[in-house]
Amino acid sequence: MELTYARWLSWGSRIALAVLAVTFFLYMLGLYQPLIPLERLPQVWSLSVDEFVAATGAPTGWRWLGLAGSGDYANLIGVAMLALVTVLCYLRVLPLLVRSGERALALVAAVQIVVLVAAASGLASALLAGGH
Amino acid sequence: MDGVTIAWWVWPLALFAVSFAIGAVAVLAGVGGGVLFVPIVGGFFPFHLDFVRGAGLLLALCGALSAGPALLRHGLVSLRLALPLALAGSVTSIGGAMLGLALPTDVLQVALGATILGIVALMGFGRSQDAAPPKPDGLAAALGMHGVYHDAAIGRDVQWCVHRTPAGLLAFGGIGILAGMFGLGAGWANVPVLNLLMGAPLKLSVGTSGFLLSVIDTSAAWIYLHRGAVLPMLVAPSIIGVMLGAKVGVRLLRMAPARIVRRVVLVLLLIAGLRALLKGLGLWN
Repeated sequence: MELTYARWLSWGSRIALAVLAVTFFLYMLGLYQPLIPLERLPQVWSLSVDEFVAATGAPTGWRWLGLAGSGDYANLIGVAMLALVTVLCYLRVLPLLVRSGERALALVAAVQIVVLVAAASGLASALLAGGH
Repeated sequence: MDGVTIAWWVWPLALFAVSFAIGAVAVLAGVGGGVLFVPIVGGFFPFHLDFVRGAGLLLALCGALSAGPALLRHGLVSLRLALPLALAGSVTSIGGAMLGLALPTDVLQVALGATILGIVALMGFGRSQDAAPPKPDGLAAALGMHGVYHDAAIGRDVQWCVHRTPAGLLAFGGIGILAGMFGLGAGWANVPVLNLLMGAPLKLSVGTSGFLLSVIDTSAAWIYLHRGAVLPMLVAPSIIGVMLGAKVGVRLLRMAPARIVRRVVLVLLLIAGLRALLKGLGLWN
Protein backbone atom coordinates (compact mmCIF):
# COMPACT_ATOMS: atom_id res chain seq x y z
CA MET A 1 0.00 0.00 0.00
CA GLU A 2 2.82 2.40 0.97
CA LEU A 3 4.62 1.58 -2.30
CA THR A 4 1.54 2.28 -4.39
CA TYR A 5 1.06 5.60 -2.61
CA ALA A 6 4.77 6.39 -3.16
CA ARG A 7 4.52 5.70 -6.91
CA TRP A 8 1.52 7.97 -7.40
CA LEU A 9 3.00 10.65 -5.19
CA SER A 10 6.30 10.58 -7.05
CA TRP A 11 4.78 10.95 -10.51
CA GLY A 12 2.11 13.42 -9.46
CA SER A 13 4.48 15.81 -7.69
CA ARG A 14 7.11 15.61 -10.45
CA ILE A 15 4.60 16.49 -13.16
CA ALA A 16 3.11 19.32 -11.06
CA LEU A 17 6.53 20.83 -10.30
CA ALA A 18 7.55 20.59 -13.96
CA VAL A 19 4.36 22.40 -15.01
CA LEU A 20 4.99 25.10 -12.39
CA ALA A 21 8.59 25.61 -13.53
CA VAL A 22 7.62 25.81 -17.24
CA THR A 23 4.72 28.22 -16.70
CA PHE A 24 6.87 30.47 -14.52
CA PHE A 25 9.61 30.47 -17.16
CA LEU A 26 7.07 31.49 -19.82
CA TYR A 27 5.70 34.16 -17.44
CA MET A 28 9.17 35.62 -16.98
CA LEU A 29 9.84 35.57 -20.73
CA GLY A 30 6.69 37.64 -21.21
CA LEU A 31 5.36 35.36 -23.95
CA TYR A 32 1.84 35.57 -22.56
CA GLN A 33 0.17 38.76 -21.38
CA PRO A 34 -0.25 38.66 -17.58
CA LEU A 35 -3.50 39.75 -15.93
CA ILE A 36 -1.51 42.08 -13.65
CA PRO A 37 1.33 43.88 -15.47
CA LEU A 38 4.73 43.08 -13.94
CA GLU A 39 5.53 46.77 -13.40
CA ARG A 40 2.35 47.18 -11.36
CA LEU A 41 3.03 44.31 -8.98
CA PRO A 42 5.17 46.26 -6.46
CA GLN A 43 2.26 48.67 -5.96
CA VAL A 44 -0.16 45.90 -5.02
CA TRP A 45 1.76 43.01 -3.46
CA SER A 46 1.96 44.78 -0.10
CA LEU A 47 -1.86 44.99 0.08
CA SER A 48 -3.87 42.45 2.05
CA VAL A 49 -5.44 39.76 -0.11
CA ASP A 50 -8.89 41.39 -0.02
CA GLU A 51 -7.47 44.79 -1.00
CA PHE A 52 -5.34 43.11 -3.68
CA VAL A 53 -8.34 41.36 -5.21
CA ALA A 54 -10.34 44.61 -5.18
CA ALA A 55 -7.47 46.61 -6.71
CA THR A 56 -6.47 44.17 -9.46
CA GLY A 57 -9.58 42.15 -10.22
CA ALA A 58 -7.57 39.03 -9.36
CA PRO A 59 -9.71 35.89 -9.46
CA THR A 60 -10.99 34.06 -6.38
CA GLY A 61 -12.31 30.50 -6.16
CA TRP A 62 -11.84 28.55 -9.39
CA ARG A 63 -12.23 31.67 -11.57
CA TRP A 64 -8.46 31.65 -12.14
CA LEU A 65 -8.97 28.66 -14.42
CA GLY A 66 -10.70 30.95 -16.92
CA LEU A 67 -7.58 33.15 -16.85
CA ALA A 68 -5.11 30.29 -17.17
CA GLY A 69 -4.12 31.64 -20.57
CA SER A 70 -2.59 34.70 -18.94
CA GLY A 71 1.11 34.63 -18.05
CA ASP A 72 0.67 34.99 -14.28
CA TYR A 73 -2.39 32.83 -13.61
CA ALA A 74 -1.10 29.99 -15.79
CA ASN A 75 1.24 29.33 -12.85
CA LEU A 76 -1.73 28.28 -10.76
CA ILE A 77 -2.18 25.18 -12.94
CA GLY A 78 0.99 23.72 -11.41
CA VAL A 79 0.00 24.93 -7.94
CA ALA A 80 -3.45 23.30 -8.23
CA MET A 81 -1.85 20.09 -9.48
CA LEU A 82 0.43 20.06 -6.42
CA ALA A 83 -2.62 20.45 -4.21
CA LEU A 84 -4.48 17.65 -6.02
CA VAL A 85 -1.73 15.03 -5.77
CA THR A 86 -2.69 13.98 -2.23
CA VAL A 87 -6.37 13.46 -3.16
CA LEU A 88 -5.35 11.27 -6.10
CA CYS A 89 -3.07 9.18 -3.87
CA TYR A 90 -5.86 8.69 -1.33
CA LEU A 91 -8.29 7.71 -4.09
CA ARG A 92 -5.76 5.15 -5.26
CA VAL A 93 -5.16 3.51 -1.85
CA LEU A 94 -8.80 3.54 -0.68
CA PRO A 95 -9.77 0.41 -2.69
CA LEU A 96 -6.61 -1.31 -1.44
CA LEU A 97 -7.62 -0.62 2.17
CA VAL A 98 -11.16 -1.90 1.51
CA ARG A 99 -9.87 -5.04 -0.21
CA SER A 100 -7.45 -5.82 2.62
CA GLY A 101 -10.25 -5.60 5.19
CA GLU A 102 -8.90 -2.47 6.92
CA ARG A 103 -12.37 -1.07 7.55
CA ALA A 104 -11.46 1.57 10.12
CA LEU A 105 -8.58 2.95 8.06
CA ALA A 106 -10.69 2.80 4.88
CA LEU A 107 -13.33 4.90 6.62
CA VAL A 108 -10.69 7.40 7.77
CA ALA A 109 -9.30 7.60 4.20
CA ALA A 110 -12.80 8.07 2.75
CA VAL A 111 -13.55 10.93 5.17
CA GLN A 112 -10.17 12.47 4.33
CA ILE A 113 -11.07 12.41 0.63
CA VAL A 114 -14.34 14.18 1.42
CA VAL A 115 -12.45 16.84 3.43
CA LEU A 116 -9.88 17.39 0.67
CA VAL A 117 -12.53 17.56 -2.05
CA ALA A 118 -14.54 20.01 0.08
CA ALA A 119 -11.44 22.18 0.45
CA ALA A 120 -10.55 21.94 -3.24
CA SER A 121 -14.07 22.67 -4.46
CA GLY A 122 -14.39 25.77 -2.28
CA LEU A 123 -17.24 24.18 -0.34
CA ALA A 124 -15.28 24.19 2.93
CA SER A 125 -14.53 27.93 2.59
CA ALA A 126 -18.15 28.69 1.75
CA LEU A 127 -19.50 26.63 4.66
CA LEU A 128 -17.09 28.16 7.19
CA ALA A 129 -17.58 31.69 5.85
CA GLY A 130 -21.33 31.19 5.96
CA GLY A 131 -21.08 30.22 9.62
CA HIS A 132 -19.60 33.58 10.59
CA MET B 1 13.63 50.30 1.63
CA ASP B 2 10.61 51.36 -0.36
CA GLY B 3 9.48 48.55 -2.68
CA VAL B 4 7.92 51.00 -5.17
CA THR B 5 11.28 52.61 -6.00
CA ILE B 6 13.01 49.31 -6.75
CA ALA B 7 12.59 47.56 -10.10
CA TRP B 8 10.04 44.75 -9.81
CA TRP B 9 12.47 42.05 -10.98
CA VAL B 10 14.84 42.65 -8.04
CA TRP B 11 12.34 41.13 -5.61
CA PRO B 12 11.78 37.74 -7.27
CA LEU B 13 15.55 37.46 -7.76
CA ALA B 14 16.17 38.28 -4.09
CA LEU B 15 13.39 35.92 -3.13
CA PHE B 16 14.95 33.14 -5.20
CA ALA B 17 18.35 33.72 -3.54
CA VAL B 18 16.90 33.78 -0.02
CA SER B 19 14.72 30.73 -0.72
CA PHE B 20 17.73 28.87 -2.11
CA ALA B 21 19.65 29.61 1.11
CA ILE B 22 16.64 28.62 3.23
CA GLY B 23 16.34 25.34 1.32
CA ALA B 24 20.01 24.47 1.94
CA VAL B 25 20.07 25.58 5.59
CA ALA B 26 16.74 23.88 6.39
CA VAL B 27 18.11 20.50 5.29
CA LEU B 28 21.29 21.00 7.29
CA ALA B 29 19.38 22.05 10.40
CA GLY B 30 16.69 19.39 10.05
CA VAL B 31 13.76 21.82 9.90
CA GLY B 32 11.11 22.46 7.24
CA GLY B 33 11.63 25.36 4.86
CA GLY B 34 8.27 26.92 5.69
CA VAL B 35 9.18 27.63 9.29
CA LEU B 36 12.11 29.78 8.14
CA PHE B 37 10.44 31.20 5.05
CA VAL B 38 7.35 32.82 6.58
CA PRO B 39 9.01 34.85 9.35
CA ILE B 40 12.05 35.82 7.24
CA VAL B 41 10.22 36.77 4.04
CA GLY B 42 7.26 38.17 6.00
CA GLY B 43 9.60 40.31 8.07
CA PHE B 44 12.09 41.56 5.51
CA PHE B 45 10.33 41.57 2.11
CA PRO B 46 7.61 43.96 0.94
CA PHE B 47 4.96 41.26 0.30
CA HIS B 48 1.86 41.22 2.48
CA LEU B 49 1.79 38.47 5.08
CA ASP B 50 -1.30 36.92 3.40
CA PHE B 51 0.76 36.08 0.30
CA VAL B 52 3.82 35.05 2.30
CA ARG B 53 1.75 32.57 4.31
CA GLY B 54 0.18 31.18 1.12
CA ALA B 55 3.63 30.72 -0.37
CA GLY B 56 4.97 29.24 2.88
CA LEU B 57 2.26 26.58 2.86
CA LEU B 58 2.93 25.64 -0.74
CA LEU B 59 6.64 25.55 -0.11
CA ALA B 60 6.20 23.21 2.87
CA LEU B 61 3.79 21.15 0.76
CA CYS B 62 6.32 20.81 -2.08
CA GLY B 63 9.05 19.73 0.31
CA ALA B 64 6.77 17.11 1.85
CA LEU B 65 5.55 15.83 -1.54
CA SER B 66 9.11 15.57 -2.85
CA ALA B 67 10.44 13.72 0.19
CA GLY B 68 7.33 11.51 0.51
CA PRO B 69 8.05 8.81 -2.09
CA ALA B 70 11.53 7.99 -0.72
CA LEU B 71 10.26 7.95 2.88
CA LEU B 72 7.38 5.66 1.91
CA ARG B 73 9.64 3.32 -0.08
CA HIS B 74 12.11 3.01 2.80
CA GLY B 75 9.32 2.12 5.21
CA LEU B 76 9.79 5.30 7.25
CA VAL B 77 6.14 6.31 6.89
CA SER B 78 3.33 4.25 8.34
CA LEU B 79 -0.03 4.96 6.73
CA ARG B 80 -1.63 3.21 9.72
CA LEU B 81 -0.12 5.82 11.99
CA ALA B 82 -0.53 8.77 9.63
CA LEU B 83 -4.07 8.49 8.23
CA PRO B 84 -6.06 9.22 11.44
CA LEU B 85 -3.70 12.00 12.56
CA ALA B 86 -3.66 13.59 9.09
CA LEU B 87 -7.45 13.72 9.12
CA ALA B 88 -7.48 15.58 12.44
CA GLY B 89 -4.84 18.04 11.23
CA SER B 90 -6.32 18.66 7.80
CA VAL B 91 -9.81 19.46 9.12
CA THR B 92 -8.46 22.03 11.57
CA SER B 93 -5.95 23.46 9.07
CA ILE B 94 -8.91 24.62 6.98
CA GLY B 95 -10.26 26.49 10.00
CA GLY B 96 -6.77 27.81 10.75
CA ALA B 97 -6.39 29.16 7.23
CA MET B 98 -9.80 30.85 7.37
CA LEU B 99 -8.97 32.34 10.76
CA GLY B 100 -5.58 33.56 9.58
CA LEU B 101 -7.12 35.29 6.57
CA ALA B 102 -9.76 36.93 8.75
CA LEU B 103 -7.52 38.30 11.51
CA PRO B 104 -6.01 41.80 11.34
CA THR B 105 -2.40 41.73 10.10
CA ASP B 106 -0.88 43.19 13.26
CA VAL B 107 -2.61 40.60 15.46
CA LEU B 108 -1.37 37.90 13.13
CA GLN B 109 2.18 39.28 13.22
CA VAL B 110 2.19 39.21 17.02
CA ALA B 111 0.81 35.65 17.07
CA LEU B 112 3.34 34.59 14.43
CA GLY B 113 6.19 36.14 16.41
CA ALA B 114 5.07 34.41 19.60
CA THR B 115 4.73 31.08 17.77
CA ILE B 116 8.19 31.37 16.21
CA LEU B 117 9.72 32.18 19.61
CA GLY B 118 7.89 29.13 21.00
CA ILE B 119 9.39 27.01 18.20
CA VAL B 120 12.85 28.34 19.07
CA ALA B 121 12.31 27.23 22.67
CA LEU B 122 11.02 23.82 21.51
CA MET B 123 13.96 23.31 19.15
CA GLY B 124 16.48 24.63 21.64
CA PHE B 125 15.36 22.69 24.70
CA GLY B 126 13.19 19.82 23.40
CA ARG B 127 14.75 16.36 23.32
CA SER B 128 13.48 13.45 21.24
CA GLN B 129 14.00 9.91 22.43
CA ASP B 130 13.55 6.27 21.60
CA ALA B 131 12.13 4.25 24.46
CA ALA B 132 10.56 0.80 24.69
CA PRO B 133 7.24 0.44 22.77
CA PRO B 134 4.38 1.75 24.94
CA LYS B 135 1.22 -0.18 25.79
CA PRO B 136 -1.32 0.80 23.10
CA ASP B 137 -4.56 2.46 24.14
CA GLY B 138 -7.98 1.29 22.97
CA LEU B 139 -8.28 3.74 20.08
CA ALA B 140 -4.79 2.91 18.76
CA ALA B 141 -5.67 -0.78 18.91
CA ALA B 142 -9.01 -0.22 17.13
CA LEU B 143 -7.31 1.78 14.35
CA GLY B 144 -4.47 -0.75 14.06
CA MET B 145 -1.83 1.87 14.84
CA HIS B 146 1.07 -0.53 15.24
CA GLY B 147 3.53 -2.30 12.98
CA VAL B 148 7.12 -3.10 12.15
CA TYR B 149 9.69 -1.06 10.25
CA HIS B 150 13.22 -1.93 9.22
CA ASP B 151 15.90 0.28 10.73
CA ALA B 152 18.81 0.09 8.30
CA ALA B 153 21.18 1.79 10.77
CA ILE B 154 20.92 -1.02 13.31
CA GLY B 155 20.14 -3.68 10.69
CA ARG B 156 16.99 -5.10 12.28
CA ASP B 157 13.21 -4.80 12.32
CA VAL B 158 11.71 -2.58 15.01
CA GLN B 159 8.24 -3.23 16.39
CA TRP B 160 6.26 -0.15 17.24
CA CYS B 161 2.89 0.89 18.61
CA VAL B 162 1.52 4.14 20.05
CA HIS B 163 -0.41 5.27 23.08
CA ARG B 164 -2.26 8.45 24.17
CA THR B 165 -4.03 8.46 20.79
CA PRO B 166 -6.87 10.83 21.80
CA ALA B 167 -4.30 13.35 23.09
CA GLY B 168 -2.31 12.86 19.85
CA LEU B 169 -5.41 13.55 17.74
CA LEU B 170 -6.09 16.66 19.80
CA ALA B 171 -2.48 17.80 19.40
CA PHE B 172 -2.67 17.34 15.62
CA GLY B 173 -5.88 19.35 15.65
CA GLY B 174 -3.88 22.19 17.22
CA ILE B 175 -1.00 21.70 14.81
CA GLY B 176 -3.43 21.95 11.89
CA ILE B 177 -4.74 25.29 13.15
CA LEU B 178 -1.20 26.70 13.45
CA ALA B 179 -0.15 25.30 10.05
CA GLY B 180 -3.18 26.80 8.32
CA MET B 181 -3.04 30.09 10.15
CA PHE B 182 0.67 30.83 9.69
CA GLY B 183 1.58 28.73 6.62
CA LEU B 184 4.54 27.35 8.53
CA GLY B 185 4.45 23.66 7.80
CA ALA B 186 4.59 21.87 11.13
CA GLY B 187 7.44 19.36 11.23
CA TRP B 188 8.73 21.13 14.32
CA ALA B 189 5.56 20.09 16.17
CA ASN B 190 4.75 16.78 14.45
CA VAL B 191 7.88 14.97 15.55
CA PRO B 192 7.63 15.78 19.29
CA VAL B 193 3.94 14.82 19.32
CA LEU B 194 4.54 11.52 17.50
CA ASN B 195 7.70 10.65 19.43
CA LEU B 196 7.36 12.14 22.90
CA LEU B 197 3.58 12.17 23.34
CA MET B 198 2.51 9.08 21.40
CA GLY B 199 5.66 7.00 21.80
CA ALA B 200 6.37 6.28 18.10
CA PRO B 201 10.05 5.55 17.31
CA LEU B 202 12.03 8.65 16.33
CA LYS B 203 12.82 7.63 12.73
CA LEU B 204 9.23 6.64 12.06
CA SER B 205 8.11 9.94 13.62
CA VAL B 206 10.38 11.98 11.36
CA GLY B 207 9.29 10.11 8.22
CA THR B 208 5.60 10.14 9.09
CA SER B 209 5.82 13.85 9.93
CA GLY B 210 6.70 14.60 6.31
CA PHE B 211 3.70 12.63 5.10
CA LEU B 212 1.41 14.40 7.57
CA LEU B 213 2.60 17.77 6.29
CA SER B 214 1.60 16.84 2.76
CA VAL B 215 -2.00 16.18 3.80
CA ILE B 216 -2.43 18.95 6.38
CA ASP B 217 -0.92 21.63 4.13
CA THR B 218 -2.93 20.51 1.11
CA SER B 219 -6.25 21.32 2.82
CA ALA B 220 -5.08 24.75 3.95
CA ALA B 221 -3.42 25.52 0.59
CA TRP B 222 -6.81 25.28 -1.15
CA ILE B 223 -8.23 27.94 1.18
CA TYR B 224 -5.42 30.35 0.26
CA LEU B 225 -5.78 29.52 -3.42
CA HIS B 226 -9.51 30.16 -3.41
CA ARG B 227 -9.10 33.47 -1.57
CA GLY B 228 -6.59 34.72 -4.17
CA ALA B 229 -3.71 34.61 -1.67
CA VAL B 230 -1.39 32.66 -3.98
CA LEU B 231 0.73 35.19 -5.85
CA PRO B 232 2.58 33.49 -8.72
CA MET B 233 5.46 35.98 -8.57
CA LEU B 234 6.07 34.99 -4.96
CA VAL B 235 5.25 31.29 -5.08
CA ALA B 236 7.22 30.07 -8.10
CA PRO B 237 10.67 31.56 -7.32
CA SER B 238 10.29 30.50 -3.68
CA ILE B 239 9.43 26.90 -4.50
CA ILE B 240 12.10 26.59 -7.19
CA GLY B 241 14.69 28.25 -4.91
CA VAL B 242 13.93 26.05 -1.92
CA MET B 243 13.88 22.85 -3.97
CA LEU B 244 17.25 23.62 -5.58
CA GLY B 245 18.67 24.79 -2.25
CA ALA B 246 17.54 21.55 -0.58
CA LYS B 247 19.46 19.54 -3.19
CA VAL B 248 22.62 21.50 -2.36
CA GLY B 249 21.86 21.11 1.36
CA VAL B 250 21.68 17.33 1.01
CA ARG B 251 25.13 17.33 -0.65
CA LEU B 252 26.55 19.57 2.09
CA LEU B 253 25.03 17.42 4.80
CA ARG B 254 28.04 15.11 5.11
CA MET B 255 30.59 17.87 5.62
CA ALA B 256 28.65 20.71 7.28
CA PRO B 257 28.88 21.11 11.06
CA ALA B 258 25.23 20.29 11.81
CA ARG B 259 25.28 21.61 15.40
CA ILE B 260 26.62 24.99 14.32
CA VAL B 261 24.12 25.23 11.45
CA ARG B 262 21.31 24.39 13.85
CA ARG B 263 22.43 27.14 16.21
CA VAL B 264 22.59 29.64 13.31
CA VAL B 265 19.04 28.64 12.36
CA LEU B 266 17.89 29.14 15.94
CA VAL B 267 19.42 32.64 15.96
CA LEU B 268 17.79 33.42 12.57
CA LEU B 269 14.44 32.23 13.87
CA LEU B 270 14.90 34.24 17.05
CA ILE B 271 15.56 37.44 15.06
CA ALA B 272 12.71 36.74 12.63
CA GLY B 273 10.34 35.90 15.50
CA LEU B 274 11.25 39.08 17.37
CA ARG B 275 10.89 41.06 14.15
CA ALA B 276 7.36 39.68 13.59
CA LEU B 277 6.41 40.32 17.21
CA LEU B 278 7.74 43.88 17.26
CA LYS B 279 6.32 44.62 13.80
CA GLY B 280 2.90 43.49 14.99
CA LEU B 281 3.21 45.68 18.09
CA GLY B 282 4.21 48.63 15.89
CA LEU B 283 7.67 48.87 17.49
CA TRP B 284 9.83 47.83 14.47
CA ASN B 285 8.36 48.86 11.10
